[in-house]
Amino acid sequence: MGRILLIRRLVLKDMRRHPAEAAMFLLAITAATATLALGLAMNGATNNLYRQTRAATAGPDVVAMSAESGQAALTTLAPLKHAPGVVGHSGPYPLLYTMLKAGGSTVRAVVKGADTAPGPIDQPRVTTGSWVRLGGIVVERGFATALGVRVGDRVTVADRSFPVVGIAVTSATMVYPWAEMGGQGDGTDDYSGLVWLTQSNAQALSGPQRPMFYALNLKLADPAATQAFVDSYRTSTIPVNFFTWQFIAVQDAVLLNDTQPVLVIGSWLLGFLAVVGVATLVAGRAAKQTHRVGLLKAVGATPGQIAAVLLTEYVALALLADGLGLIAAWLGAPALVDPSAGLLSTSTALTRGTVISVTCLALAMAAFTTLGPAVRAARTATVHALADAARRPQQRTGLTALSARLPTPLLLGLRLTARRPFRAILHAGGIAATVTAITALLTYYAQPQQGYDLGSSTLSNLRADQGRHVLLAVTVALVALAAVNIIVITWTTAQEARRSLAIARTLGATPGQVSAGLSLAQLLPALPGAITGVPVGIGLYWTFSVGTMAKPSTWWMLADVLGTLLAVAALTAVPARIAARRPVAQILSAETP
Amino acid sequence: MNDIGNTAVLRACGVSKEHGQGQSLVRAVDELDLAVPTGEMLAVMGPSGCGKSTLLHLLGGLERPTGGEVWLAGQRIDTMSERALARLRRRSIGFVFQAFHLMEELSAAENVELPALLAGCSARTAKRRAHELLERVGLADRARHLPPELSGGQRQRVAIARALVNEPLVILADEPSGNLDTAATLEVLRLFEELRSAGQTLLIVTHDERVAATADRLISMRDGTFVDDTRLSDSATMRLGDLIGLED
Repeated sequence: MGRILLIRRLVLKDMRRHPAEAAMFLLAITAATATLALGLAMNGATNNLYRQTRAATAGPDVVAMSAESGQAALTTLAPLKHAPGVVGHSGPYPLLYTMLKAGGSTVRAVVKGADTAPGPIDQPRVTTGSWVRLGGIVVERGFATALGVRVGDRVTVADRSFPVVGIAVTSATMVYPWAEMGGQGDGTDDYSGLVWLTQSNAQALSGPQRPMFYALNLKLADPAATQAFVDSYRTSTIPVNFFTWQFIAVQDAVLLNDTQPVLVIGSWLLGFLAVVGVATLVAGRAAKQTHRVGLLKAVGATPGQIAAVLLTEYVALALLADGLGLIAAWLGAPALVDPSAGLLSTSTALTRGTVISVTCLALAMAAFTTLGPAVRAARTATVHALADAARRPQQRTGLTALSARLPTPLLLGLRLTARRPFRAILHAGGIAATVTAITALLTYYAQPQQGYDLGSSTLSNLRADQGRHVLLAVTVALVALAAVNIIVITWTTAQEARRSLAIARTLGATPGQVSAGLSLAQLLPALPGAITGVPVGIGLYWTFSVGTMAKPSTWWMLADVLGTLLAVAALTAVPARIAARRPVAQILSAETP
Repeated sequence: MNDIGNTAVLRACGVSKEHGQGQSLVRAVDELDLAVPTGEMLAVMGPSGCGKSTLLHLLGGLERPTGGEVWLAGQRIDTMSERALARLRRRSIGFVFQAFHLMEELSAAENVELPALLAGCSARTAKRRAHELLERVGLADRARHLPPELSGGQRQRVAIARALVNEPLVILADEPSGNLDTAATLEVLRLFEELRSAGQTLLIVTHDERVAATADRLISMRDGTFVDDTRLSDSATMRLGDLIGLED
């Protein structure tokens, strides 16, 4: 118990002593885990919501829609009520394809005639207001959200005005904007929304210009065998289109096609940036940690106890970040998995696979950034550890000779970069990850923005809008994390090289030259990183884009690279300036060679 | 020598420590023999770089010798595994360093509790022992203070309390007064005097002749070897009262 108390005490006291570092570690890993959890939560999330909605609304197993209108349609659909495998039905319900005016928009709409007391199959769930009654209209929730229509508003359908008496959700139709369900396997280009009227009101709107079609809801003995049922009619010539509940579920998930890759790829980029930042933080603390290890060894801590002390803190923080990320994803997922608001999204459970994957990511990031320094510290001889023997920088004689011919700031910058080449590579990778996201975002904005054309009015494209919002959010998170990383890397570099830089100042380097050298040490790896990020960003966008892709202008890309480099220069300026202005005597007297 | 060797709690036989190779080979410690009997206070003096700190590290198992043997309480320690050495340090050796080497994030009491907790003591026992020791070194009222809030002398007294918490066989002190002013040095020497009276074995590496003068025995080192080994008579061993000159 005593040893556990000791480890707990050392971990907590260390966190309390370095709250900013602990907070950054936590924030960086939480951002990555939350994004990955959200990305993974998209897998099958819509399907789950559709299943929940289907259960809550007694959704049909198959919807049969007549391709003919009028009495012929009723005649065609009638035998299906008693077809083999069918155990229940509701309808046929009349369907009208017409225009709806609401709030200044004129859009295509599907008017469905409904019973005032819904039958046993397809019982739309009223989320606001009440169910359909004579003279009143109920608007499907996704459609109402897109139009900005609320209960009490008036809408005009086929030139007749109706008060909106309710907003409802159904699983018998695809979510907005695919209410038309023009045909199995296609028909999604005809965007429209769904409204319900009483059957008599619906019939009153029909006429030669607006023929009446019909939809029949079927319940099968085996809901899983819908495809076999549909296939049994595939060769027949009856003019009916069948929609299985599985097909509707798949179609509803199309809205997330842009969101999921952005989140999953974003999580890997955020994870990489988290690793860059945390690895730098940990390396910056290596000297102090090594001293701590020496102290613990001197008072009798075994290598195992030392490893436990060093790793527990980061593992605990990683697990905390994992938990926070999962909670954030659990809370945020419902808002993302149902962009149309056309499904009942009471909860979005994270699967065991998601939890395991996200936890593995968090632990891998902690291990990748801390295991090496921890093992190195644990292996350092006690006497050296007590003497604060920091890890020696790498010597590059060729580079040193080359840099001797350069102006002082460039000389210092090049030598500082060469001291920690692996960190320079990580830094370049971090910049590349950030520029990749910025480039993808710019490429997105370079594409022609196409809303949903619902006839006379065009409404916003839910799928593209959500994709853009998520891409923007991920890019902002990446830029923020990259900015913090740049400051941390500059400050850590300045701290590690303070003695060398102080000596350079005794030899005649000015604080300005030292400051510029520190900034250049960050700009040198940032340049190839930024240049690499541009084609990677375009390539990634191209990989996940559908159809032809418009290339962003060269000027935009140039501004992307130059803007990034300017931002790096600006972010490094302050820590570099502070570090360069510390009194030389103070640094040299505090350091033991 | 054999009698002493038999009763010695700490023994080194032909112990050497070399650094570097070929032309750059340095013998920090060169085939030294040493026996420290139980209850003895031994001072090792010599100029900087003569190898006295290295000798202390070898005797305490902080470094491994390149030749010879080191024995503590009848156990050969230079061949022990890292894990076994750690356990030995924890139970049988207390270190006092010039730079104190306290954990700055832990309070004085928590620093003292540290070796006890590592040794598997219960939290309650560790707390009790730390309290007793801090009282013994006159810092009971500073138990909750962090090291940066303490003076140099107070920090060194905390370090001594920490060294004593597991009742070690021997205390090894490396320049314990090196970072202290005269008054703080006196405080520390008062503690060593108490420990000596209580029969604690002490080996002190020091530059300070007045500190060395309080020992039972004084060894002088130069270039990795002993050049003098003097047993100080009672009259030659300065008592604390004689050290009042330190306050000048």
